[in-house]
Amino acid sequence: MLDQKIVIGEKVLTREELFREEEEFRKERAGLSLEEKIRILVELQKLAEGFGEKRDVIIWRI
Amino acid sequence: MKNAIRVMNELKEGGLIKDYAIGGAIAALRWTEPFFTQDLDVFIVLEEEADERGLIVLSPIYEYLKERGYVWKGHWIIIEGIPVDIFPADPLEKEAIAEAEEIEYEGVKTKVLTPEYLIALFLRAGREKDKRKIGLLLEQAEVDRQKLERILNKYGLSERSRALVEK
Repeated sequence: MLDQKIVIGEKVLTREELFREEEEFRKERAGLSLEEKIRILVELQKLAEGFGEKRDVIIWRI
Repeated sequence: MKNAIRVMNELKEGGLIKDYAIGGAIAALRWTEPFFTQDLDVFIVLEEEADERGLIVLSPIYEYLKERGYVWKGHWIIIEGIPVDIFPADPLEKEAIAEAEEIEYEGVKTKVLTPEYLIALFLRAGREKDKRKIGLLLEQAEVDRQKLERILNKYGLSERSRALVEK
């Protein structure tokens, strides 16, 4: 079977390459400072409250 | 969060606790990509372990926090806008605190549990969300496998670990 390719902007990737890139991206994010990760966490809490309609989520004051 | 850490440091400096470290999801977050969580888990070592009835008395800590104007919401105490769960440490957690990494968060010193102890604690808790964090730590953190093995053996968690891997 022909390996399916996915076009993202100017990149053409196979599904396997796309997964590998995603894995790299996640590892890069693991290397962010704790301060930066906490800022992202607060954004996730805002998302959960708004988009996810979890009204009981406490948005951290940082 | 910086101010919540400052309050924990004050508890230590004031002699209300002997030591503490950040555990749970926020400690895991130190080593992995960001993920959603709601609270800050703090493990504490008390100056006095238990009273004559064998009870762990957290009252002086809670009195201090109450006097500072911090309020409860469910099981959390809200310290400087952060929902905090405070756990008196058991033997595994005490060892984890002693071995915790000292870090600075926005210039404020604190300690966070290392991946090996976090894996052991998540394994012991055994909920689905804990298993997901174990997966993230094994995938993204630098885990000292020999150290992990030693901790799991010492605290009788090796069987659980094997069961999780087989699953």
